[in-house]
Amino acid sequence: MSVEASRAAESETLELFKNSFAYGTRTDLLFKFLKDLSSEEAAEFLQGLLTKVGESAGDGDVARLLDHVYAWQVRAYAPREDGVHGGTWAYEDAPFAPLARPLSDARVALFTSSGHFVAGDDPEPFGVKNMSQEASIARIVDFIRSKPQLSVIPADTPDERLRVRHPGYDIRGALADPNVAFPLERMRELARERVIGELAAEAYSFMGATAQSRIVRESGPEWAARLRQRGVDAAVLVPV
Amino acid sequence: MGHVARAFEEAGIATVTIQVGAFRHHAERMRLPRVVVTRHLMGRPLGAPHDVARQRQVLRTALNLLEEAREGGTIVGLPEPFRTMYRPFAGAGADAEGRETSSTARAHLDP
Repeated sequence: MSVEASRAAESETLELFKNSFAYGTRTDLLFKFLKDLSSEEAAEFLQGLLTKVGESAGDGDVARLLDHVYAWQVRAYAPREDGVHGGTWAYEDAPFAPLARPLSDARVALFTSSGHFVAGDDPEPFGVKNMSQEASIARIVDFIRSKPQLSVIPADTPDERLRVRHPGYDIRGALADPNVAFPLERMRELARERVIGELAAEAYSFMGATAQSRIVRESGPEWAARLRQRGVDAAVLVPV
Repeated sequence: MGHVARAFEEAGIATVTIQVGAFRHHAERMRLPRVVVTRHLMGRPLGAPHDVARQRQVLRTALNLLEEAREGGTIVGLPEPFRTMYRPFAGAGADAEGRETSSTARAHLDP
């Protein structure tokens, strides 16, 4: 490290440090919520985490670490009085379609925004072949301005044929087991057990860091029409 | 995904949304029809990798809600925290010097 870089590192503030996890020099999407905390809150989170690391070193149980991260994710994204995180989208009405037939007779589709696709059927965003997770993160701004691309995934696709890429969330869990965000194998099991009438022949996934206005105007109605044409009664939706 | 839910409902397709607690306010503000909220980490709304029992529990709760909800804005929260495959040693599995024995190693590996 050069003298200059060393001095810069020494003078890094907690504010810069915590923000660097969200599309910065230390990008880690599991911890991008740190940017939404004040420096004081981030310090409280980190101190609490270290205390719990010490406790876990005593008994080996890491569940408290994950509880801690969960609690602070909730806190970081909670709506605040200054309007941050309230979400720009709010509605008065709640459209509601009753299930048209008993669940045990219904055709149910899986539909997620987890960014899954089948090996060999990469949506190739922006025409880029084999885009890596890291490369997608670098283009987050382009993604959130673009119309979403829907991946149609045959419902009999085995887990090992599934791929995932998404610049908006930590995909490590989904890489270890797609069912954490795209529970196709679990849905197949429930269909075999007759909990549902049948699993629709197509499952669907798109990458949810995308232009919401395009979903409202274009993709939402287009996708609804596709499912209607295929006789789908109900959809299990999984945002990430 | 909230807009997908609304578009599907308007087209006559019943939906249920599974999401993590950090996003609960989105569901409320967008008045989503049926929602299951889990106490899971972002990116893992169904639970930990290979936690098949939890993944099934979440899905069964969601599917039941498809049938049972009578009006839009129905939100069900699952209270169970995100869990790992950790199991306590409970004092077993180490010899007199505290070295790990093979049964200790197995305690880590058994799901």
